[in-house]
Amino acid sequence: MPLIECKDLVVRYGEIEALHGLTIAVEAGEVVTLLGGNGAGKSTTLRSISGLVKPVSGDILFEGQSILGAGPEDIVRRGIAHVPEGRRVFPGLSTRENIMLGASNRKGLTKAQIRAEADGMFDLFPDIRPFADALGWTLSGGQQQMVAVARGLMAKPKLLLLDEPSLGLAPVIVQKVFSIIAEIRKLGTTVLLVEQNARMGLSVADRGYVLETGRLVLSGKPADLWGNEDIRAAYLGGHARVKATLPAV
Amino acid sequence: MDLVLQLLFTGIGIGSVYALVALGFVLIFRATNVVNFAQGEFSMVAAFLMVIFAVDLEWPYWLSFLLALAGMALYGVIFNLGVYYPLRHRTYLPVIISTIGASILVANTMLALYGPQPQVLSPVFETPGFNVGPVYLDSQYLLIIVVTMVLVAFQYWFFEHTLLGKKLQATSQDKEMASLLGIPVATMIMITFVYSAVLGGLAGILVAPILFVSIQMGGTIALKAFAATIIGGFGDVAGAIIGGLALGVIETFGAAYISVPYKDGFAFLVLVLFLVFRPQGLFGERVAEKA
Repeated sequence: MPLIECKDLVVRYGEIEALHGLTIAVEAGEVVTLLGGNGAGKSTTLRSISGLVKPVSGDILFEGQSILGAGPEDIVRRGIAHVPEGRRVFPGLSTRENIMLGASNRKGLTKAQIRAEADGMFDLFPDIRPFADALGWTLSGGQQQMVAVARGLMAKPKLLLLDEPSLGLAPVIVQKVFSIIAEIRKLGTTVLLVEQNARMGLSVADRGYVLETGRLVLSGKPADLWGNEDIRAAYLGGHARVKATLPAV
Repeated sequence: MDLVLQLLFTGIGIGSVYALVALGFVLIFRATNVVNFAQGEFSMVAAFLMVIFAVDLEWPYWLSFLLALAGMALYGVIFNLGVYYPLRHRTYLPVIISTIGASILVANTMLALYGPQPQVLSPVFETPGFNVGPVYLDSQYLLIIVVTMVLVAFQYWFFEHTLLGKKLQATSQDKEMASLLGIPVATMIMITFVYSAVLGGLAGILVAPILFVSIQMGGTIALKAFAATIIGGFGDVAGAIIGGLALGVIETFGAAYISVPYKDGFAFLVLVLFLVFRPQGLFGERVAEKA
């Protein structure tokens, strides 16, 4: 039984259909990446799983039980943490407070226990340790991304949904974020990762799904997807031969 | 000099009332992104509850006081469920109209029950006041200042040092993200309304012996408190407190040195000056967006 299973998911935003019957599954312990361009429906898939959008039809099974129609507060209590696009670090709270609030889905913890756990996160994210008391809005994009992932892990999730962790970050920082994803995988947390950066996404994944305008077009092992030049050119942007036609100066 | 000190005391006293109501404005605004136009009625309803319990029913003052505050907590719950909750997924406009409607409804209910003549509530202490050096300290004003200071200290501790306070802050900063973390957003907003109603109610009860209890008192206090929040920087908690105190001092000095009939005018003159020359208020926007 897969840990999470989306069956024939249809999502509409008003008149526009964002997902036209998407079926994907992630086994426990896997890292799976959802690839595709803008408007492919990647974020919509994650937002459906975490309960932020209500699909019009289809089903979502988590540990074999339907979570369709449950609200986000309920779903995170079941063990699905969503680190959304744009990081969404609380601007007026400190790094430590942001991370501590990640444990809001867990019951029966004292403030001291949560604080100790939050401080423990700095072992995994040493770069943000010096900024423990800095307010969220003062952090750089990369630091905010690390806070957002740490906050997600504080939920002790069985499934971690990561939406575009590389977006807007410098290449060096992207490398860092992905090495952290590799670490998370070693901890045994199942990850469903959305990426536009196909190369980075596939570098940490066991399997990949490729979406195009709300439909699944391909799936397979990273080597099969990345190794096929036609696929790369058509869907992953890995082979785009851009001829820069600059006017002569 | 003596007069200056005396006026400063009175100004801070009345300013404390504006500060309490302004705090309620800011907390609800931060939690819901909506200005609650029925904020002044929180004070008015609480003052009338005091009149009902302490004057009409002749219950002991302290018991009436506790019951009135408990009543305000309940009023906060009802207000949240009736005025805000059904419209929570709409834009700010329907919610604002809803609060204006609530304000009109509550004021006119009180008018129907008590008529237009103001009610009188006696002060808390039997001793009207005492002299410290050249300054006469009115005991009701002193009580208002002390209660405000205690509440501000409590609120600081609550928001900065408790997990619930942090969750309330998180909810006011990003509701969707808060819900993704498992923070019960609807409950957080409910708590905000209850706290805000109790704050406004406390201000109303404390100021009632000074101002008379009438259906207009809510509107007057709310307008001053609204001006205070703009002077302080809309949405800023410290700004609301300092704006409220500043407004109380300015109008007291204005009344003493320039003109008594134009007392209320000074507050709004300052408001207009701020809107023209420093619309972001004293403290501006503390939390900036960063890409």
